[in-house]
Amino acid sequence: MPQKTTQRSSRAKNGRAKTRAKANPTLAVDLDPANRPGVPMETAPKPLAGARVPIAHQHAEVPVFKHAGRKEMPPVFGTAQPPKGLSGLLRKAAYAKPDHKPGHWMLLLLADRVDVWEHRLRRSLPWAAPSAAAFLAGGLMWRARSA
Amino acid sequence: MRALTYQGPYRVQVEEKPDPRIEHPQDVVLKVTRAAICGSDLHLLHGLVPDTRVGCTFGHEFTGVVEEVGKEVSQLKKGDRVVVPFNISCGTCFYCQRGLTGNCENSNPGSDVASGVYGYSHTTGGFDGGQAEYVRVPFADVGPMKIPDDMDDESVLFLSDILPTGYQAAEMGEIKGGETVVVFGAGPVGLFAMKSAWLMGAGRVVAVDHVPYRLEFARKFANVETVNFKEVGDIVLHLKELFEGRGPDVCIDAVGMEAEGSRAHRVLGLGLKLEAGAPTVIEWCINTVRKGGNVSIIGVYGPPWNFVPIGTAMNKGLTLRMNQANTRRYMPHLLEHIQKGRIDAKGVITHRFPLEQAPDAYHLFAQKRDGCVKCVLMPHGHA
Repeated sequence: MPQKTTQRSSRAKNGRAKTRAKANPTLAVDLDPANRPGVPMETAPKPLAGARVPIAHQHAEVPVFKHAGRKEMPPVFGTAQPPKGLSGLLRKAAYAKPDHKPGHWMLLLLADRVDVWEHRLRRSLPWAAPSAAAFLAGGLMWRARSA
Repeated sequence: MRALTYQGPYRVQVEEKPDPRIEHPQDVVLKVTRAAICGSDLHLLHGLVPDTRVGCTFGHEFTGVVEEVGKEVSQLKKGDRVVVPFNISCGTCFYCQRGLTGNCENSNPGSDVASGVYGYSHTTGGFDGGQAEYVRVPFADVGPMKIPDDMDDESVLFLSDILPTGYQAAEMGEIKGGETVVVFGAGPVGLFAMKSAWLMGAGRVVAVDHVPYRLEFARKFANVETVNFKEVGDIVLHLKELFEGRGPDVCIDAVGMEAEGSRAHRVLGLGLKLEAGAPTVIEWCINTVRKGGNVSIIGVYGPPWNFVPIGTAMNKGLTLRMNQANTRRYMPHLLEHIQKGRIDAKGVITHRFPLEQAPDAYHLFAQKRDGCVKCVLMPHGHA
């Protein structure tokens, strides 16, 4: 067992670790690494309980991107919020780069900001378009009267 | 159905969206009974995770009742109550077979950096999350665990993420008995890392944060010593001094990319996006831990890079360990700890909200108001 840093008298708030440790009934229940589910972190290969092979391939009814560093689509994926608009084009360009390239991530962050503005624009259209039309018509009428 | 949706940085709302459906024969659809807000959901809320699309439903910590079953699902039936690990894992790929379910390669086309995760952007597969009335759950025979009849949903809710994550953080610290452990971050994951460090036989555990009520909570919940880094001049020197001038044996980062404590990192990472968030706590861990010690990183960081003192780590002979939690393998063991009263998992819940008030819950949690440690949403009320 490796040498441990010894305890010393200097304490933070709620100090006196040894007394506290004795009062803690759960102390060291998992001291033995054999009791720890993640030791070793990488186990001998074995399918997990309930796993089923072969895995059928999911069919996408909407565009789903995979990054260029990946050979094929995984059998299962999410289909939420399919890409669209300018942000969709930016995301397409981003996924054309493998995910170890910084450009992949920078384009995605840019697409996220564009996505937000596209949605704000789309949401504002129902009131912004009539307002702009009314403003334009009012301006034209005012110019016609003053002429 | 009603669901929380992302509307852009710092903005979420609850709105109507189509019900999820079976998209693969190994899917089930769950009626969500409880969905927690995780600290890592705040990274999404703040627009820090690439490819977070407007309309995305967050939520990767949830329990529910099976509502609809795919034709290849054999272990679950309609009406079963389950808790679902946040990673979406096939159980058969190279990584799942080796226990690394957090690294499954069969659930995320968007990136090789992580497996699929519920409600965590298209960088982790583009799946909607559980902060909704219903959610699609792929590989239903592999991930979800049935909830024992004598247990309520909230008692096991955190087996979905924060409890295994905190436990794995302590485990990666390689505690063999008597070690000194510093946990940065007294949020829910940090609290469970502290509890787990005691379970593994740590000799002394110190929590570091800057929010007074959270430090107070840590003292009571996890029985640890605490340090408020805003009350000491130099946190690294202060911690070294606490441990004979050498530093602790183990440092755990349970904070991640939005750490306070370094103006430079916050400007570079959160403001200018020249690095993926603020890796302040990694820097503190590397500088604080004793030579030859262990640094365990469980706080979330994104690609592509961060400015961390890797040269210091090399010269000090440190062991750096990190990963997303391989949640599924911890669930039975930690369920036993909950059943035997060793861990009061639902003791971290401070606030409960109906789904319609989810935006208020996010803001309360993000702004650390009203003594908030953990918020839980109830999409179908108290049922």
